[in-house]
Amino acid sequence: MADLKIEICGVKLKNPVIAASGTFGFGREYNEIYDISVIGGVSSKGMTLKPRLGNAVPRIAEGYGVILNAVGLQNPGVEHFIKHDLSFLREKGVAVIANVAGSTLDDYGEICAALNGLADFVELNISCPNVKAGGMAFGIKPESINEVTRVAKSSLTKTPLMVKLSPNVESITANARAAEKGGADCISLVNTFTGMVIDLEKRKPVLANNTGGVSGAGIKPIAVKMVYEACQAVDIPVVGMGGIMSGEDAVEFMMAGAKAVQVGTANFADANAMPRIISEMNAWLDNHGIKSVNEIIGTVRMN
Amino acid sequence: MKDLTAIVKGNEEIAEKIYMLTLELTEDVGAVRGGQFVNLSVGDGSMLLRRPLGVCKTDGRLLSVCYQVKGRGTERLTAAKEGDELKVLLPLGNGFLLDKYKNIAVIGGGVGIFPLIATIREHCADKNFYSYIGFRNKSAVCLLDELGKSKSLTVTTDDGSYGIKGNAVSAYFEDVNKPAADAIIACGPPVMLKVLKRELKEHGVNIPCFVSLEERMGCGVGACLVCVCKKTDGENARVCKDGPVFDINEVEL
Ligand SMILES: Cc1cc2nc3c(=O)[nH]c(=O)nc-3n(C[C@H](O)[C@H](O)[C@H](O)COP(=O)(O)OP(=O)(O)OC[C@H]3O[C@@H](n4cnc5c(N)ncnc54)[C@H](O)[C@@H]3O)c2cc1C
Ligand SMILES: Cc1cc2nc3c(=O)[nH]c(=O)nc-3n(C[C@H](O)[C@H](O)[C@H](O)COP(=O)(O)O)c2cc1C
Ligand code: FES
Repeated sequence: MADLKIEICGVKLKNPVIAASGTFGFGREYNEIYDISVIGGVSSKGMTLKPRLGNAVPRIAEGYGVILNAVGLQNPGVEHFIKHDLSFLREKGVAVIANVAGSTLDDYGEICAALNGLADFVELNISCPNVKAGGMAFGIKPESINEVTRVAKSSLTKTPLMVKLSPNVESITANARAAEKGGADCISLVNTFTGMVIDLEKRKPVLANNTGGVSGAGIKPIAVKMVYEACQAVDIPVVGMGGIMSGEDAVEFMMAGAKAVQVGTANFADANAMPRIISEMNAWLDNHGIKSVNEIIGTVRMN
Repeated sequence: MKDLTAIVKGNEEIAEKIYMLTLELTEDVGAVRGGQFVNLSVGDGSMLLRRPLGVCKTDGRLLSVCYQVKGRGTERLTAAKEGDELKVLLPLGNGFLLDKYKNIAVIGGGVGIFPLIATIREHCADKNFYSYIGFRNKSAVCLLDELGKSKSLTVTTDDGSYGIKGNAVSAYFEDVNKPAADAIIACGPPVMLKVLKRELKEHGVNIPCFVSLEERMGCGVGACLVCVCKKTDGENARVCKDGPVFDINEVEL
């Protein structure tokens, strides 16, 4: 049994495996399948100030080794989360990451203020490709990333700020640095890549929203490279994700420099994905005689 | 609710492009209700999404689903053979809750008949089912022995090649001798359910009617909000968790 404990921005996690936003709700449903207290943390469904109904259906499509989603940030609003879901996650003893989105700078300021001191992290979604309110407008250029990060940070006096970067950008390096300069305590990446699947018979896109965010196994090599680049660019901790399906995949992201990982689409392919990934990670470390997961972080060496 | 390994016991074509897949579950999952469904891996890692399929039969640890070959996933599923292992998440959704009812009209079309069969099997010892079942044509007709567990059975085909020419909804409303029912259960293509809702209104039928809906799914357990339908109160409901069975008056069709 290797030691899987990690610490990010002063927050202790029992292991580095966190449920990715939007794939795990607020944890209750998967807790009917296994006790979710075994995982390191839960990033909540992306929340906005007011409840949102989201996009029309179909909201999901599939490609080889990938899926596309366009949920459109359906959520019950941040107040509902604070009243009804936070205490459940607290009781489970998992790190609580409140994933938030907005359409204006004020939205981000207000929602961060509401969560200040309540969650373990606030994860700023400035990278949802599916709706205007998803903050994509802020997530493309370094200048606006810097600005929205500053606004969020000024509301978060007690809770560390995690900025979630979009991969649909010119320079991950520049954007990671912009978040760091803006005051981010850590960053997470990647959010989904934009994509489209066409139904040949209907000659129409499968998704009602036409385009959606691509995630799952097929995006992993691109995500690993981006996480590596981000880790090289900044001094703050990086949380990596994108296509993690196994313990080995998680180890790969950590070798690339990630301090922790998030697992999204894998939960759909295997409802027990997260506990499995944790035990596979453990087995990998044991098989390599590694005592603590911290020993592998950022150990990749370029050829 | 468990995600477990199942062993394929049979996978036979029972009508044109319709297969019955029988699985042996390697763990106990408790009672499975008619109208509940499973999320099945198709046995190909390049397809990350499970396929939702209504439970058709259960017998101890044996569970059968019937699927129509539609796209890549169900095509791949036809290759599953005895002894193969598939992952299956179950039981999912609410199913048909019929405690309060005794005489039940059943209206089903296409692949919608399979969850209805499970419901008939579950309750036929102490409830009366009057079934109206529509198939595309003669080559799609299947499982008449199971459907025959109903007190009465009317079969239709779109082209009249078997049974009455027409569809299940029109057969129900045109049946002048229909036995009095205290509830209706229905499952079938979206257009069938839409017509059913309209006809119920037009005929002033006000017994409860429960419909099972289909939507594309991600998690299957209520976490991802991918599979929503619109409720008449303007809110969204998750087909996988709040459904798939809804009161017909509660949902927009
Ligand atoms: C609760 C429920 C119960 C169902 N029960 C049955 C059943 O008993 N028998 C049966 O033959 N079919 C049933 N279906 C429909 C069945 O899930 C689809 O036909 C099947 O998923 C198609 O997969 P594919 O890979 O062949 O098609 P593709 O088009 O290649 O699938 C691509 C993606 O779209 C999804 N998808 C496509 N069509 C549907 C659909 N109509 N409903 C939901 N998802 C869809 C697939 O699951 C997959 O994720 C049910 C659907 C639901 C929601
Ligand atoms: C159905 C679905 C919904 C998502 N919703 C959100 C969201 O609300 N906020 C967010 O920051 N990311 C969201 N994501 C992105 C994931 O958190 C993650 O960044 C992405 O899926 C890549 O990881 P994966 O390949 O492990 O899924 C969503 C992804 C999926 C599949
Ligand atoms: S499929 Fe995830 S909520 Fe229904």
